[in-house]
Amino acid sequence: MTQAVQLLIIGISLGGVYALMASGLTLIFGVMRIVNIAHAALMITAAYASYWAFRLYHIDPIVSILISMPTMFVLGMLIYKLFFQRIIDSPRIGELTVLLTFALALILEGILGYFYTNIYRSTNPSYATRAILFDPFYLPQGQFYATLMSLVLIALLWAFLQYTKTGYSIRATMQNRTAAQVVGVNVNRVSMIAFSIGTALAGASGSMMTFLFTFYPGKHWEWVAILLSLIVLGGMGSLLGALVGSIMLAIASAYVSFRLGPTWSPITFFLALFLILLFRPQGLFGHKAEF
Amino acid sequence: MAKPPLTLKSPPGSRNKRLFIAGMLLVLLLIPFLRFVIDGFNYWLHMFLYIFMYIAMASSWNIIGGYTGYTSLGHNFFSATGAYFSGVLLVYFKISPFLTAPFAGLLALVLGLVFGLISLRTRGPAFIISTIALVLLVKISFDNWDYIGGANGLSLPLLDLDVSLVKIPYYYYMLFTAIAAVYTAYRIRHSKFGLGLRAISQDESKAEVAGIPTNTYKILAFAISGLYVGIAGAIWGYYSTYLQPKTLMAILVAAQLVLMTVLGGKGTVAGPVVGAIVFIAAEEYFVSALGSSELNIAAMGLLLAVVLLFFPEGIVGSLKSRGRLPHILDWD
Repeated sequence: MTQAVQLLIIGISLGGVYALMASGLTLIFGVMRIVNIAHAALMITAAYASYWAFRLYHIDPIVSILISMPTMFVLGMLIYKLFFQRIIDSPRIGELTVLLTFALALILEGILGYFYTNIYRSTNPSYATRAILFDPFYLPQGQFYATLMSLVLIALLWAFLQYTKTGYSIRATMQNRTAAQVVGVNVNRVSMIAFSIGTALAGASGSMMTFLFTFYPGKHWEWVAILLSLIVLGGMGSLLGALVGSIMLAIASAYVSFRLGPTWSPITFFLALFLILLFRPQGLFGHKAEF
Repeated sequence: MAKPPLTLKSPPGSRNKRLFIAGMLLVLLLIPFLRFVIDGFNYWLHMFLYIFMYIAMASSWNIIGGYTGYTSLGHNFFSATGAYFSGVLLVYFKISPFLTAPFAGLLALVLGLVFGLISLRTRGPAFIISTIALVLLVKISFDNWDYIGGANGLSLPLLDLDVSLVKIPYYYYMLFTAIAAVYTAYRIRHSKFGLGLRAISQDESKAEVAGIPTNTYKILAFAISGLYVGIAGAIWGYYSTYLQPKTLMAILVAAQLVLMTVLGGKGTVAGPVVGAIVFIAAEEYFVSALGSSELNIAAMGLLLAVVLLFFPEGIVGSLKSRGRLPHILDWD
């Protein structure tokens, strides 16, 4: 029983970070109907930025979110202009952009690999290895801070979508792109903003990844499959789904990791992905029409 | 751009085209004899073999990815299972992969049916995601499966032949696999089945209304597209003498298949062949110019992005729609 509760705590304390990673991806899918295969590659890019900020200038990874988020926002705008603007209205957008973001992921991986090689990296701020003890349980301090930060960012995102005019336009575009266009939403601009916000969120989660997991340029393939399973479970395009799906799968993978060993824990995500596709392709909170 | 109507008819076959293809095949059959003339010949045999493998795999991928319009980013699942199937039989039972390779293909076909039954219930992005997940799932399983070597891999003995001759059996086997794959892709394109597949790629709902059994067709297309990939994988595994989940199931291999087909022209018979040749030539050039560094990966990504954005029809498709395609390359 104690063991089960302990695994639950570990699961939840990772789930928040997964949710932050997944929320950017699901936002982009919701607004633009594209599956951003490069999402994890963007995370790794930001992770390198935070890694060097920590190594060279001793900037705490959580503080470096303040740098990585705006930088990644601008990078997101650039990527949108270069890659998506000219094809956003193409009828084959779904398939085309999967390949296009796939290409983007390869470009990022190649550039990062060229400069930083395939050495495994991670940062070690003081809280990364400590734990908060409250007998008989413990809570890894790094995970706790990261999840707290993630939940704050997700709440901010939610408030932005709920209470600002731009957020309102984004939600309208998510619901029905054509109708939003008819009532005067500049869907192209909205898509760009949503994509950049998604990229910025990838940046924030990348910064926190540096002290939670080791990373190297090619690592993003593993991550993107995990992220995709999270948003497929929740229902693609649903923010609430991303949050619930992330926490559920994080707990499940903590159990698998405990029972079968850590090498097997990623299999939770991929198996879950198949089971969801088999029994409920639209996910927990998705709409049937999406696929 | 208006899509041309779907027809079964092929353009009037010209004698020149047949002669060109027959001549090309004859040259390829005779190439191993050049070893009496040229030094450093193994390099060229290796390059040809490598190109044949990718022609076989890209042509097969084209059946599901090009004709049917379902992009699979997990086709190296088939080549990896084929390689491991034949590799394990060789190591533990001493049966030559030259005998077991066709069965590796059949295994890939059956696995394709099973996986297709599950994942082809989804369309568009969800399908692509499921194929990526498949490869990662199998990679983790193989990494932890000690009987087949686990993450450390499995070493295979090479054919017991003189160094100057050893590549030749692989060369012929891979050549015939490539020919069979291209011929299958050609026959499918000119069958009622292929017509149904192309209808699915244009508008699946309408195709279904028109009475095409879309589900059966899709699953069959996926399974058939695994067949030659499995065979090519088995031979390649034997040839490279070392199987490791990390290299066989690298997502980059799947990426190359997609890139070659898109580069050459998705949905055309000649596209994957042209794409594979151009791509491997370009890759060799990048490696010799930039060194075998990570920049190759970036260059590959850049190439894919440029082709997708500016020439989505690929080399063969773009030339064809402009009426510039040399007649001898028009295999549709």
